[in-house]
Amino acid sequence: MSNKIVIEPVTRVEGHGKVTIHMDKKGAVKDAFLHIVEFRGFERFIQGYPYWEAPLLVQRLCGICPVSHHLAAAKAIDQIVGLNPKDLSPTATKLRRLLHYGQVFQSHALHFFYLASPDLLFGSDIVPEKRNIVQVAIANKELAKKGILMRKFGQEIIKAITGKKIHGIAAVPGGVHKTFMPEERDYFLNGKEIPNIDTMIEWSQEIVEFIKSYHDKHFRWLDSFANYPSGHLGLVSKTGALELYDGRMRAIDGDGNITLNDVHNDDYIKYFTEGVEKWSYMKFPYLNSLGRKNGWNRVGPLSRMNVADSITTPLANQELATFKAYTSGNPNNCTMHYHWARLIEILHCAEEMKILLNDKSLLGDDLLREGTRRPEGIGIIEAPRGTLIHHYKVDDKGMITKCNLIVSTTHNNEAMNRAVRWVAKETLDRQKKITEGMLNQVEVAIRAFDPCLSCATHALGQMPLHVSVYDHENNLIDEHRKS
Amino acid sequence: MSIAKVKGATHGSEKIDRQKFLDINQEDTLFIAIGNSARSDDGLGWAFLDAIKEMKNFKGKTAYGYQLQVEDAERLSNFPKVVFIDAYAGEDDISFEWEKTEPVNDFTFTTHALTPGAVLYLCQDLYEHHPQAYTLKIRGMDWELKIGMSEYAIQNLNEAMTFFSQMIQE
Repeated sequence: MSNKIVIEPVTRVEGHGKVTIHMDKKGAVKDAFLHIVEFRGFERFIQGYPYWEAPLLVQRLCGICPVSHHLAAAKAIDQIVGLNPKDLSPTATKLRRLLHYGQVFQSHALHFFYLASPDLLFGSDIVPEKRNIVQVAIANKELAKKGILMRKFGQEIIKAITGKKIHGIAAVPGGVHKTFMPEERDYFLNGKEIPNIDTMIEWSQEIVEFIKSYHDKHFRWLDSFANYPSGHLGLVSKTGALELYDGRMRAIDGDGNITLNDVHNDDYIKYFTEGVEKWSYMKFPYLNSLGRKNGWNRVGPLSRMNVADSITTPLANQELATFKAYTSGNPNNCTMHYHWARLIEILHCAEEMKILLNDKSLLGDDLLREGTRRPEGIGIIEAPRGTLIHHYKVDDKGMITKCNLIVSTTHNNEAMNRAVRWVAKETLDRQKKITEGMLNQVEVAIRAFDPCLSCATHALGQMPLHVSVYDHENNLIDEHRKS
Repeated sequence: MSIAKVKGATHGSEKIDRQKFLDINQEDTLFIAIGNSARSDDGLGWAFLDAIKEMKNFKGKTAYGYQLQVEDAERLSNFPKVVFIDAYAGEDDISFEWEKTEPVNDFTFTTHALTPGAVLYLCQDLYEHHPQAYTLKIRGMDWELKIGMSEYAIQNLNEAMTFFSQMIQE
């Protein structure tokens, strides 16, 4: 028997998680787990619905990244109506891309300004009441104002294309359902009602400079905290550049060796298996070639920076070069560098949005294409939190008979468990008293991944934070609650 | 003068100055409804807004949201007056409640949903703007995943709408 510390739920992640830390008789950390104890069953209850409803239904998985699910499902459904990504009209593809960049932009802004900045600005030892965006806003008015307006810009892009900031509709089988009007485009260019896209690029550059400056001052913590080798997975373009909407799957190991060599989306099932553990509802995907023990990968901004050779937009590409130079071109395994990578992607999305908003074909009316029906469709996209896979099979009547979703947070499952173990051993080992700051460091490690447990499993509503400490005989010896 | 709270419960009842109410029903007032129509009675706020938009004398601007978040402080900074409309699950026997709302520094460690008072506090702090604010709370009882509200909620919604309709008669 061992001592056990339970942190439930983890705060400031989307959804509900629980951490248990097991200690031996001497008070040393023996093991640690991130348990996902909720279950959603989305893959099951979508069965029996017509395929064309999938992009609408699955976005209810999440209130933060519904657009990612909407687009991944749409790409899969495109295949069911006989169309590959290259078959869509340029206007439809560009509108979907603009929607996607707006989504990643607002989601990253949400995470950095709202969820991560308290950890960075106040440190992990600050009292819980101070660890939130509201205190950031009060202490750093200009930073908070920019964060609010950057998130708003991304949300307004989503609203302009889908009709709503959350759970709107844009993609339909074979394209998009609505033209983008000149006045809608001008709203983002003229700066009359909201700061324009040039301001977004400027502020994105400022925030990248902020994180680099912050890193200069705190590199010992940022470089060492939860630093452990891992595989990395992400989409890249044909030229090996960062690709968020449609690309090929590339993975590398902790030393930078290629473990998945730019494979086509449709082949994902040949290369991946989802493992299960009895203590969590969340699965553990891994590369078949390396097995359950060694084949797991991190995904998300850090991994995308690691697998990409370049970025197509100049300012972000310059920042990628700086990012890669810091580890001399070797894979960056610093968990806290997720924040740095996320901000480079914010800049990339802002640059991409400017290109698209100034592209006349965005306003075209060639929205839909048709093809020959197929029984199966696979859509893979880089969601804000990482590689997102939607896979559907349908019967002759077009009803969904099978659905498989591998979401970003699921890919990061093993990596988050490793991070929790790392922090537990570093901070809780042989400590007689567990402090609030120590427990928060566990949360800081998980938050760096920006996990969405709503997407990975199920989460409705919120619960208070519950921390329980057990002795080596499993007796409850201490308990903490936050509400 | 009208009584905002009904159904016999009198604690905290507030008498409404009808002239002030007419001042609220203006084009520069934001009526922001919080809730989710996919969760039964949590859709009360949205349903109320849907209804009053159809009223002949209604003049305000409207907005819908799942929950109040930090960015709503920026939205509020553009309006001199704001009315929050939300469902509530109180234990009392009040069908709806109309109350003046002030900025309150009552932030908790969770950050995804703020109270009207907290958003007003942020609005004041970040944008040095202090809108005149009220909250209309309409009581519900069923919060499960379901389209459509309970009969109890619909009855309370109708009472709130009747009250509002009478108050904006010119």
